Amino acid sequence: MSNIKGKVLKHGTQTRTMHWVHLIAFTILGLTGIAFYWNIDIIGNIFGGFANASLIHRWAGVVFTVGPALYILLNFDRFSRFIDTISNFSKEDFQWLKVMGGYIPFIKVDEAPPQDKYNAGQKMLGWMIIFGCILIILTGFPMWLWRHSLPAAFLGFCYDIHFWTAMIMILLVGGHFFLAAIHPKSRVEFSSMMLDGYIDAEISAHHNAKWFAELKEAD
Amino acid sequence: MVVGSPSEEKCIRREIKMKFFGEREGMTRRQFFKGAGMLTVSAIFLGAFSKLGFDAFAASTDYIEKRAAGLYALDEKMAIRKSHENPEIAQIYKDFLSPGEVKPVSEKAHHLLHTKYGKDIPNFITELKSKQNEAA
Repeated sequence: MSNIKGKVLKHGTQTRTMHWVHLIAFTILGLTGIAFYWNIDIIGNIFGGFANASLIHRWAGVVFTVGPALYILLNFDRFSRFIDTISNFSKEDFQWLKVMGGYIPFIKVDEAPPQDKYNAGQKMLGWMIIFGCILIILTGFPMWLWRHSLPAAFLGFCYDIHFWTAMIMILLVGGHFFLAAIHPKSRVEFSSMMLDGYIDAEISAHHNAKWFAELKEAD
Repeated sequence: MVVGSPSEEKCIRREIKMKFFGEREGMTRRQFFKGAGMLTVSAIFLGAFSKLGFDAFAASTDYIEKRAAGLYALDEKMAIRKSHENPEIAQIYKDFLSPGEVKPVSEKAHHLLHTKYGKDIPNFITELKSKQNEAA
């Protein structure tokens, strides 16, 4: 452990805002989607019935699309740095994946390999979320806007992709929530994304040693 | 404050204790190309998916047009093209549905030729069964 005392700004205000907007939109989309896919009255009634749930689903979809799009437009440098980080898989990342970062109880690890701002698991999650979002957005809008003019076979294809991508995304986000908010080893990161953006330097130096070294060097 | 004094050391300690590392700003050329590349890949993905949609729409429209043209062509070849001008239908009305005259939507025609849909079907089946039982 590093003995540096202090705080590191891990996620800026706009990143946190975008994360909140996307989280709320995703939760509404997931709940309404599940409600009318499996015809679950209890969830449908929360949104004022299935007709309203369907309407809310569509407009939450607009927020789900416009939120990150605006973020990318206004924060292209942050977005580029993020893409750079998650696309950079080094030897340490593969070593981290081999031991699953020490998160799996039966894989004994003394010290997980040093990581970037995001560890190898978060990098993989990042890619899956990006491609999942693209697929869901691309298939969602034709189902809403051109459902009367598109052939049934193409719409069916959109429905299948939309449904299965959503299912995978819900599972991924569930896992992400567990690791970021509940797991004792990593829940310290929760407040940095959901509240003030800061994380203890000591924790950062341990969990994201490579990134922290870069910050120290630049400081 | 005297340099090297205990108060200066205390200040330095506090400074170390309260050290804040801010977010890095700007981007390198590599980062720019990766960000722009990601947007380009997304745009290509959007284009490919849109093309799939447009092709499917064009194929479907083409099929519908050909099917409609086929139906019109078949219809044009028919000797009798309107049901109310069909002598067989007129005869059925005269003999059975409205005896002695051609009266479309006669009571018998309404009951025999009009059917039920959706939620009305179970009641209709019950009605038919009861009539069947009465006849037996």
